[in-house]
Amino acid sequence: MNDKVAINLLTTGVPGLDQVLGGGVPEFSFNLIMGPPGSGKTTLAHQIMFALATPERPALFFTVLGEPPLKMLRYQQQFSFFDFDKVNESIRFVNLSEDVATANYDQILARITQEVESSSPALVIVDSFRSAVLETSRQSRGAFRLQQFIQQLGVLLSGWQTTAFLVGEFLSPSDPNPVLTVADGLLLLDQKVYRNSMVRQLQVLKMRGQDTRPGMHTFRITSAGIEIFAAAVVRVDTGEATMADVALSREVRLTMGVPRLDEMLGGGLPSGYSLLIAGPSGSGKTILATAFLAEGVRCGEPGIIVAFEQTPSQSWVRTLDDLVRSGKIGLINTRTLDLSMDEIVQHLTSLIHKMKATRVVIDSLSGFELAVAPAFREDFRESLFRMITVLSGLGVTVLLTSELEDRYIDLRFSPYGSAFLTDAIIVQRYIEVESRLKRVMAVVKVRASVHSTEIRQFEITDEGVVIGDPVLAYEGLLAGRPTRTPAPETSERGKS
Amino acid sequence: MPTTDSHREAIRRTLEERAGGAPDAAAVAEATIDIWHQVADRLAPVIGMQGVDVLLSHSLHLTSATFPWLVNPGDRGSNAAQLATLEARLAGCKPEASAEASCALFVTFTELLTTLIGESLTGRLLSPVWEPQASAPGREAQS
Repeated sequence: MNDKVAINLLTTGVPGLDQVLGGGVPEFSFNLIMGPPGSGKTTLAHQIMFALATPERPALFFTVLGEPPLKMLRYQQQFSFFDFDKVNESIRFVNLSEDVATANYDQILARITQEVESSSPALVIVDSFRSAVLETSRQSRGAFRLQQFIQQLGVLLSGWQTTAFLVGEFLSPSDPNPVLTVADGLLLLDQKVYRNSMVRQLQVLKMRGQDTRPGMHTFRITSAGIEIFAAAVVRVDTGEATMADVALSREVRLTMGVPRLDEMLGGGLPSGYSLLIAGPSGSGKTILATAFLAEGVRCGEPGIIVAFEQTPSQSWVRTLDDLVRSGKIGLINTRTLDLSMDEIVQHLTSLIHKMKATRVVIDSLSGFELAVAPAFREDFRESLFRMITVLSGLGVTVLLTSELEDRYIDLRFSPYGSAFLTDAIIVQRYIEVESRLKRVMAVVKVRASVHSTEIRQFEITDEGVVIGDPVLAYEGLLAGRPTRTPAPETSERGKS
Repeated sequence: MPTTDSHREAIRRTLEERAGGAPDAAAVAEATIDIWHQVADRLAPVIGMQGVDVLLSHSLHLTSATFPWLVNPGDRGSNAAQLATLEARLAGCKPEASAEASCALFVTFTELLTTLIGESLTGRLLSPVWEPQASAPGREAQS
C-alpha cells in the first residue's frame, strides 16, 4: 500500500508558470516572490490569487506598507484577470499597515491569526513582506524574534491549510534572512535594461519537491497580466530512438515546390530536417522559402512563416500574402526589438500545435537577430540551437534563410556559425558573366543523404525560381568571376 | 466619474432612513456620523484607516466649496476634530440644509473613491451601506 502523501498541485493561472514550476504550485506551500520594485511581484501575486480564489476556497490579501492599497487596486484592476465579482466574495483585502507601524511581532501574528481563523482562507498573500520585516526588525530582540515570527507564521498558515505567497522587495537570495530557509518556494523576478530594450525574467530558486525548469525564463506584462515563456528544454536521450527516427524520417521526403530542386536534394528534403538557405540580399531566399510553404499547402501540409523582414503585403510574393490571408499559412510577424528566443519558440510551438503545421520558415536569421533583445544577442547561437532542437523534436521541417555578404575570398554559409546546426544547406551566390550578374545555387549538404554537388544557374521569374542546367562552361564560380572551361564535364553526385 | 442619479438617490434615501421620518437637524447629523462610520468600517480593511481619513478630509474640502460652514480650517490634520465639527455644524442648521450638505458630502466622497479605484470596485465595497435596511430600533424606514 502506498501511504505517501500526495501533493496536490494548484494551477496558477499565469501562462507558462506551471510549466516552469513543474506542474503548478504545491498546495499548502509557503512561497516567497522576490524582486526589485517594478519587476511585477504584486501583479504575479494578484494573477495567481484571482485564478485560484473561489467562494469555497477564498483568498486573504494582506497589504502591508509599500504601495498604498488605493493605488494597488487602481492599477491592478487594469488587468483583465482582475475580476470584480471576486472582490469580497472570494477575495478579501486586509490592510495591516497600521498594525505593522505600531505593533510588535506577537500582535501582528495575532492579527493575522485572527483574520485567518475567521475566514479559513485557502490562499494567503502578504504584500509586501519586506515592509513587515523592516518595521518589525526595528523593534527589540532582532533576528531571533523575526525568525520565530516567520516560523510561527509558517506553522499557522500550513496548519490552517493555506497556500501562502509572501511578496518581498529587495531580499537577496544570498541574504541569510530566515524567511529564505522557511519558504518552500522562492520565485525571483528581475528586469534588465540594456540599451533601449527591457527584458523581464523569472527564476525559480527553490520549490520543494518539484522538478522545476532551471534557468531564467523571460516574461512579459501585458493587459492580460504576466505571460512567462519557459526556456526550451533540450532533452537528452540515448540516441537509439533518434537514429531510428532519422532513418524513418529520411524515408519521407518533402517536395520543395521548385522544379529540379528536389532532384538536387537527392529526392526532396527529408522530413524533420532543418535547411539553411544562405545567400546575398536579393538572391531569392524568401521566394524559395515561399515556394516551400506553397508546396506544403498544395500537399495538405500546413506551414508557418516567422517573418522578421519584409511583410507579405510588401513582398512581391503575393502567393504568400494570399496563403496567409486565407489561413492556410500561419504568420508570426514581429517588429519588436526586445524578443527572447523563448518567446518566439513559445508562439511558434503553440501555432504549430494549433495549425498542425509540418513546415516552418524562419525568414531570416539576420532579421531575427535584430529583433532579439540586445541582452540575448550574445547567446544567439546557443538559443538558435535550442530552437532548432525543439522544432526538430516536434517533427516539423524547418527552412531558415540567412543573409550572407557576398565575399569571394572565402566560402561562408552563415554569419552565426549556424551552418553545423542545420541538416541541410543550400547556398546562393551572384556571379559575373559577360558583364551581367547571374544567380547560382548549390546544395552543400544534406545530412546522411546523397545529393547533387552541381552549381546551377537559376532565375527568378513571375512563376518563381527557375533552376537551369549545371554551369559547366565556367569554373571559379565561387570566386565570383568565372572563366570559361575548355570542355564541359559530366555532373557528379556526392554524399555528405 | 459623476455619481449617477440612482446612486445619489440611494444616498439620500439612506440618510432619510437613518434620520427618521420627520428629522430634525440633530438626527441628520447623527445619521451622517453613523453612515460615515459604516463607510469607514467597510473601507479601512481594504485601503487602511489612513487612506479613509485622507479621503474624508479631501471630500470635506471639496464639499466646503458649496457648504463652507461644514468645516473649520483649524481642524485640518485631525480626523476626529473634523468629524466633531461636521456633526456640530450639521446639527446647528435647518434640517433641509443639513440633509443637503450631508448628501453632498457622501456623493463627493463616492465620486472621489470612484476616480481612484473605479465605479465597479467602489460599488462593490460600499453598496451594502446604501442598501435599504430593515427598520432600525426607534426609527422607521422610508423608501
